[in-house]
Amino acid sequence: MDSPAFQTSRRMLALKTKEECRLGNETIQVWAVELPSKHAEGILKVIKDNVEGQDRIDLQHLRRFAKPKFLPKHILGERDRIKELHCVPRAWETSAPAVMQASCENAVWDWSTPAKARTTTRAQTLYLLICPTNVISMADLHSLLLDYTPFASSAESWAYPLVIKEVTVPLLSPTSPAQADEWSNKYWPTFYRKTNPFGAHPVSMSKAEDELQTSECNGFGVEHALELAEEVAQITKGEGLGVGTGCVIVERVEGKPEIIAVAGDARYKPLSVPAADEPHGCSPGNVMAHAAMRALGFVGRKRLRVASGQVSKAAAKAESNFANVGLAHDETARDGFFLDLPVNSFEQKYFDNDNIKPDGYLCLKLEVFLTHEPCMMCSMALVHSRVGRVIFKHRMPETGGLTAELVRNDTGPVGLGYGLCWRKELNWQFMCWEYIQQTHGESEADDTTAASTVSQYSKPPMANETIVESSFACIHV
Amino acid sequence: MAAKTTVFGEVPNRAYHERFMRKAIEMAELALASDETPVGCVFVHNDVIIGRGINGTNASLNGTRHAEFVALAEIMAKHPQSIIRETDLYVTVEPCIMCASALRQYGIRAVYFGCLNDRFGGCGGVMNIHTDNGVDRPFPAYGGIFREEAIMLLRKFYVQENNKAPEPKPKKNRELKTAILPISAPNTATAGAPAPPPTTTNTPDLPTPQG
Ligand SMILES: [Zn+2]
Ligand SMILES: [Zn+2]
Repeated sequence: MDSPAFQTSRRMLALKTKEECRLGNETIQVWAVELPSKHAEGILKVIKDNVEGQDRIDLQHLRRFAKPKFLPKHILGERDRIKELHCVPRAWETSAPAVMQASCENAVWDWSTPAKARTTTRAQTLYLLICPTNVISMADLHSLLLDYTPFASSAESWAYPLVIKEVTVPLLSPTSPAQADEWSNKYWPTFYRKTNPFGAHPVSMSKAEDELQTSECNGFGVEHALELAEEVAQITKGEGLGVGTGCVIVERVEGKPEIIAVAGDARYKPLSVPAADEPHGCSPGNVMAHAAMRALGFVGRKRLRVASGQVSKAAAKAESNFANVGLAHDETARDGFFLDLPVNSFEQKYFDNDNIKPDGYLCLKLEVFLTHEPCMMCSMALVHSRVGRVIFKHRMPETGGLTAELVRNDTGPVGLGYGLCWRKELNWQFMCWEYIQQTHGESEADDTTAASTVSQYSKPPMANETIVESSFACIHV
Repeated sequence: MAAKTTVFGEVPNRAYHERFMRKAIEMAELALASDETPVGCVFVHNDVIIGRGINGTNASLNGTRHAEFVALAEIMAKHPQSIIRETDLYVTVEPCIMCASALRQYGIRAVYFGCLNDRFGGCGGVMNIHTDNGVDRPFPAYGGIFREEAIMLLRKFYVQENNKAPEPKPKKNRELKTAILPISAPNTATAGAPAPPPTTTNTPDLPTPQG
């Protein structure tokens, strides 16, 4: 995964969802039993017919039957719990317990009989995953199985002592083939079923990644969008309006991308009543003028402009409600506060293009490209707006709302853990990636913007940076 | 989970706050009369209302234009932004996660609300944006002031909207439910027994508030 080849070919890293972080490694205890292959289906039927709730928990990602050679060694060497429970040696239990412990490397049947001859002639065996341990007690399971072949008292039962094992298995489906392999080695043979119960479907994710990354075909991929976001960020910052963050919103119609909105952070654009003499670094500025909020506002403005008669009428009626309820109607002040109109010609150029599909709902399924991970306000604004895909370049570990991970092994703390892009509690989820910085071929030294300070926040800030820049990591964007 | 019950704790000087929550309810009632989502709010500075709001999403086709933001726009037309630091918000429905974050960034002094917002609440309903660790000063949030009225307004809107639909839903959905579950005292479950579902948030027939 971390090979240089991966980093240069795939530059988008899907954000882990909150549930992937929280539940991805949860396990559950199950009963398992080894039995001859020819009796496997019969015993499974016994379980299905007699153990109520055996399938209550979905363990479809685990093999029901596993060949011993595919099981982790610790399962083969597991102690016989039922033997401890009953403590009464049966006729065929002639060997010392030490033999059992020493035989971890071999098939577990060996413990009961030092006679080598029989092992070699024994039939193929399988391990059956019976059910979670909280569904039936070991004693009940034991007495149930003793009623059926091959465990019932019969000629064969002598050869197949009933050994019930308690095994730890992953509770939930793996979300990648690599994770399935890891769990197969660690716990129990596990399938990757190309599903993800904690996030976007893997097929949708890879389709989105293909669309976003094939910039050669459509002329506008993730690199271009992020460059544009960076450009507007620097222009508005250069005009003294903002902190240097930017947002680009794209509508993709049958694979063809249209740039709908381009907005820079403009929090320092003076309001109707300017703030008292506070240096920029001490004031949050106008929170409404964060790049993402402004870009979402541009989309609404554009929608109003291209709306059909019916939609326009409904919006106008809603607008008249403000007057009905006696709300003051200072449009200049309102627009100056929300800043959902362009502040410079660069933004204006994209704003003026009537290229959005008419009568769409909010920002449904639009793509959002951000220089920086948005704050909680902006992240939730993206949820309210029903966006489809979000890609950001720089994490904001102290203020970002999208990252679900709290710490990452290689880089330490990475975020607040909100993971707003995919929360089951909320009524909308969207796909989210962080953009991987190219690690070679690009000079980082000449990039002295605030952005670079954040992306490399583990480095100390450079001495010549202003207050705004050196404290950038802990501001909301 | 703890915050879900603490936001319904004792409200100091309740009668004073009810006076302003009444104004917020009046805003919501006006919104309902105009077929707009009945969520209303007022911002109060030194006993004076400096901003009022109802939902603006339908007028702007902007899903972020919540009542709180509409009211903030009115405030900023006449006051410097720093006034928010000595201002309290009264809103009929708990502020959503977005609004809670914005309010905290602006430095709001306190928030008083009517009913919880089960879907998007940022002050205890779903998340605790007001008190979580963060770079800005946290703010206290007090819920439950005229809670039943706030819920009834939303239910009336829901029934009203359903009846307007071209094919009205089955009759049982159109009836106005008037029973509202009481707020149970926190942690009164019998010791040892499994905790009951959190009844403070249990308003299953509450339509999605946009606020
Ligand atoms: Zn923001
Ligand atoms: Zn809100």
